[in-house]
Amino acid sequence: MVITICIGSSCHLKGSREIIQILERLISLHNVKDKVELSGSFCMGECTKGVCVKLDGELFSLQPATTEKFFNEEVLRRLA
Amino acid sequence: MNISVDASYKSLNKHHEELCGDKVEILKTPDSSIIILADGMGSGVKANILATLTSKILGTMFLNGAPIEECVETIVKTLPVCQVRQVAYSTFSILQLFKNGDAYLVEFDNPSCVFIRGGRLQEIPYQEKIIEGKKIKECRFRVGLNDCFILMSDGVIYAGVGQVLNFGWTWNSMAEYAVKATRTTLSASRLAAILSKACDDLYMQSPGDDTTVAVARIINAKPVNIFTGPPMNKEDDAKVIHEFMRGPAKRIVSGGTSANIVSRILHKQIKTSLNYTDPVLPPIATIDGIDLVTEGVLTLTRALQLMKQYVEEDVDEAFFFELDKDNGGSKIAKMIIEDCTELHFFVGKAINAAHQNPGLPFDLSIRMNLVAQMVDYAKKMGKDVTVQYY
Repeated sequence: MVITICIGSSCHLKGSREIIQILERLISLHNVKDKVELSGSFCMGECTKGVCVKLDGELFSLQPATTEKFFNEEVLRRLA
Repeated sequence: MNISVDASYKSLNKHHEELCGDKVEILKTPDSSIIILADGMGSGVKANILATLTSKILGTMFLNGAPIEECVETIVKTLPVCQVRQVAYSTFSILQLFKNGDAYLVEFDNPSCVFIRGGRLQEIPYQEKIIEGKKIKECRFRVGLNDCFILMSDGVIYAGVGQVLNFGWTWNSMAEYAVKATRTTLSASRLAAILSKACDDLYMQSPGDDTTVAVARIINAKPVNIFTGPPMNKEDDAKVIHEFMRGPAKRIVSGGTSANIVSRILHKQIKTSLNYTDPVLPPIATIDGIDLVTEGVLTLTRALQLMKQYVEEDVDEAFFFELDKDNGGSKIAKMIIEDCTELHFFVGKAINAAHQNPGLPFDLSIRMNLVAQMVDYAKKMGKDVTVQYY
């Protein structure tokens, strides 16, 4: 599974770096490093909402505060 | 033969002085570069005025093609006479390097120019001339790629006199040190910084005289192309990329959407890294065939800061440490400052809707302004700059 996080200017200012750190922490916490790959991308054209994150072709708009919920509800659910 | 000149200089003021009594002018004519170093008698305001007048008069007259005889005559008759010493006096060196490889060096009472070729010191076959009762040394010769010239004021060869060293640094020791430093540095600015630092150390950070080194290195023309910002009309995308990719040049793409356009038109994939080498800047990416791919406005802001510091402030080892860092901003600034003789901007004027968000902690809609400032500073560095808007 690949999670693509936008690191363009706008998303950067809304906290891409923090979100990447949170995801990295959660991935190693749940021991799913071999199943989930993180990658970056420049602007995906959805920046007005929040930090743009793509999972299995589906777009999500995250904030650092909603990242853990996203991981639990979307990432872990799909892995299960 | 079509050579380019990388020129830079650095001055140390005599201790307790606010103004430097040495003055360097770096000028460009359509077919040559001219470097003038003048050292006004005395120190402080008086020396500064003498040196400034001398370098400006020489510069203006040289630009208009006046022979050295007329220049010297004008200076002698124009400079104000010192009340203490009853003479008007400023020493000078002029080095004119033509694009076709011809060179012309004129010196009046300054320490001789250090000429380094192939890692060795070269003798300069001077001829002497008396003009207005002053002994002028001049020489016409040919230059080659990678030749390096160092002009200096006498504060350099006397660095440390009576303190660290009995007779100061001396011309020979300075030249020997310069030869070694030339082998380990690429740009004129780095070499000037190293030589100036050596002088400052010999003076134990308290220079006894105004001390200036001016460095000129002969290099190949090094064009750098920067593409930033999407064009107003999407139909122009292919045209911009075509022009951006034309001819030999180092290529920088700055901006996420810009990178996406390059990727789409050239059918090359973008590989984005998640390696935050600087917490404030988004990471860089790679596209096959492009030398550097970065985020846009934030990264350009950082590059601009470094360019500004380079032009306006003191350039020391700490600055080069920052410039060598592995983040997009430093990388762009380094390429422009140290590895570029001509800079070509390809700027799209489209405005990113997401950047018009008042909730953002930083105004992202300032690309035009950034580009205008970068152009300004690059010109001040002596680069040939062009800007094309789309």
